[in-house]
Amino acid sequence: MTLWRRYVIPAWQQPVIRWMAFLGALMAIGVGAALVVFTRGLVVTNLSDLVPWGLWISIDLSSIALAAGAFSVSAIAYLLRRKELQPVAKTAVYVGFVGYSIAMMMLLLDIGRPDRFWHGFVFWNIHSPLWEVTMCVGLYFSVLMMEVMPIIGHWHVVEERFPRISARMVGIHRITPVLAFVGLCLSTLHQSSLGLTYGKLIARPIWYGPWPMAITFYSSAIIGGVALVTFISLFSAKLTPHARINKQVLDKLAHGVGWAVLFLLVFRWWNLMSMPVGYEAGKSEALHILTRGRLAFNFWWLEIMLGMVMPAILLLIPYFRRNERLRMLALVLVAVGVVAYRWDTNLVGQLVVFGTVPGSDVPLFTSYTPSLVEILTGVGVIAYGLLAITFGVRYLNVIHHGEVVEAPAEASVPAAMVPSSSR
Amino acid sequence: MATKIDRREFLKLGLAATATAAVGIGMSNQKLIPLPMAAPEASTKTHGPENPPHKWVMVIDQSKCVGCDLCLAACHAYNDTPPNMSWSRVEEVAPTDEGKRVYRPIPCQHCQDAPCVEVCPVGATYHRYDGLVMMDYDKCIGCRYCMLACPYGVRHFNWEAFTGPNPDVPAAGHPEIERRPRGVVEKCSFCVQRIDRGLATGLKPGIDPDATPACVVACTYGARLFGDLNDPDSPVSVALRNAPDAYRLREELGTDTRVYYIPAKSAEENAL
Repeated sequence: MTLWRRYVIPAWQQPVIRWMAFLGALMAIGVGAALVVFTRGLVVTNLSDLVPWGLWISIDLSSIALAAGAFSVSAIAYLLRRKELQPVAKTAVYVGFVGYSIAMMMLLLDIGRPDRFWHGFVFWNIHSPLWEVTMCVGLYFSVLMMEVMPIIGHWHVVEERFPRISARMVGIHRITPVLAFVGLCLSTLHQSSLGLTYGKLIARPIWYGPWPMAITFYSSAIIGGVALVTFISLFSAKLTPHARINKQVLDKLAHGVGWAVLFLLVFRWWNLMSMPVGYEAGKSEALHILTRGRLAFNFWWLEIMLGMVMPAILLLIPYFRRNERLRMLALVLVAVGVVAYRWDTNLVGQLVVFGTVPGSDVPLFTSYTPSLVEILTGVGVIAYGLLAITFGVRYLNVIHHGEVVEAPAEASVPAAMVPSSSR
Repeated sequence: MATKIDRREFLKLGLAATATAAVGIGMSNQKLIPLPMAAPEASTKTHGPENPPHKWVMVIDQSKCVGCDLCLAACHAYNDTPPNMSWSRVEEVAPTDEGKRVYRPIPCQHCQDAPCVEVCPVGATYHRYDGLVMMDYDKCIGCRYCMLACPYGVRHFNWEAFTGPNPDVPAAGHPEIERRPRGVVEKCSFCVQRIDRGLATGLKPGIDPDATPACVVACTYGARLFGDLNDPDSPVSVALRNAPDAYRLREELGTDTRVYYIPAKSAEENAL
């Protein structure tokens, strides 16, 4: 009873604890729904033979895309030697780690035989983009784990109780530049191959086109990832003193995102609109769905207007950029736009199945709305992500950009990674 | 800190490494994986064998097909598929000029350049020695990528386990293969178990019913023919010689399929 009075009640009065408890509850519901999926099989979803990839794949694609801030910021900080970005890289790596773990949970649910998740590593089909994605995501996740080790090592619980393990974990930061390089390679491979996964399919004319798909997936991942990391940093700094940011650096990133979003707009347009003016079976119908049909709101508003045009205006015009709220809004809109892009892309190729003989068949229109179980598991996994980020900001100091200590020339150690005792 | 090279040096090294790798890969004739785990028949090729000992082909005469679905019932029974799944489907297509209804049965086309074989991340779908596209149910992880890749929509996922009796047994036949587990993809195999059993006992697939796909045997109208295209006297070779207008589905994709269709003709055309 005293324990209750001494610890639980005061804790409950903190908004962050209530927020974390709320997320924990969503997670618990998600775990329950996932158990339903594992016991009853994928029949509980609204997926079908005609639309086999749905909400989970969209969440998986989005979280991988938004996790791309990890490799991009790390590459800028460690390979292009922009030292001022090294503390931001730490934030990015943590967000990336959370993003990839979300993706892996979603995939585990989505495949029909979760017990065989390891088959991709043992049975190779080097011609399949999905095989490449499996390998790269697996390897890159281990890179991210190594990059996250020093952050965990600095957690005061680990530092105090297991000082030796803590020292080991913190020691990994010495190879951070190497990890940044490996991460850049692996991410470039699989972020673009995720686009190729769709672009390779001759059966789906709206997707078919390996180059545009690979390029738009890769570039939108980088832009969305950097935008999300910047947003999370700015937003956390608003909410809690646990997050300390360097506004100048983040402003620079935000400005860069503003320009990049314009390039993204060009790529997206090129991908979609560079097509014959005439009728092309399957492609024309899919384009209609995207621009006039079910996905039109997503496409024009979430993707193009709110996801690209608005952020570009808000981030590039100095008058708007100086307003901090608008800047944060713009950054989160970029991330929303990337999610919408993944959702639209995944669905548009499946909502129309064209006939088996050119010219003689009417295309078959299909439909898909996620089932309750799909939504609950998806929400549960996203709640896990938010909880992990909250935890990271609150206890692992992942947003500590404030003190940029000029690192010694020999070891380019990010300021935030110097053991706290020496600060 | 171990990294003492400057940026220029680093980029140079990286470029050299990439170039070396690229040249190596280019010259290696695609044998990238010396590991035994990369099953050779399954994953290093995306197209079937060039000169298979038998070239199994199905010919479907649309002028004879009446859309009765007897072939589907036989398929359900012999391959023990659940009632809500069909390895073949029978589509009704545009009628002939005088209004006669026309159907088009669509089994797996067993492409020589099969998109599904190319994209399967674990090589669970592959070309057999005679070029038939097969499924390895023990490898399949159920990612359903092949279903997106198939231009003919003939791949099916086991959304749930098939338990309970098969309504087409025993009326249409008896199961010859095991039921597939929940969570894997399956498709028409040209009744490979019947072909193999027939060849082993000296029968001729396409001629002897016991060695011929169940749907071909079940068709009382003779709309489905089966046989070895390498054998000039096989039913399919004869039928294709007599039908210069035979076509295949979506030939423009370059999938090089093994199912030929003889179009239904109007009475006028038949008279010619």
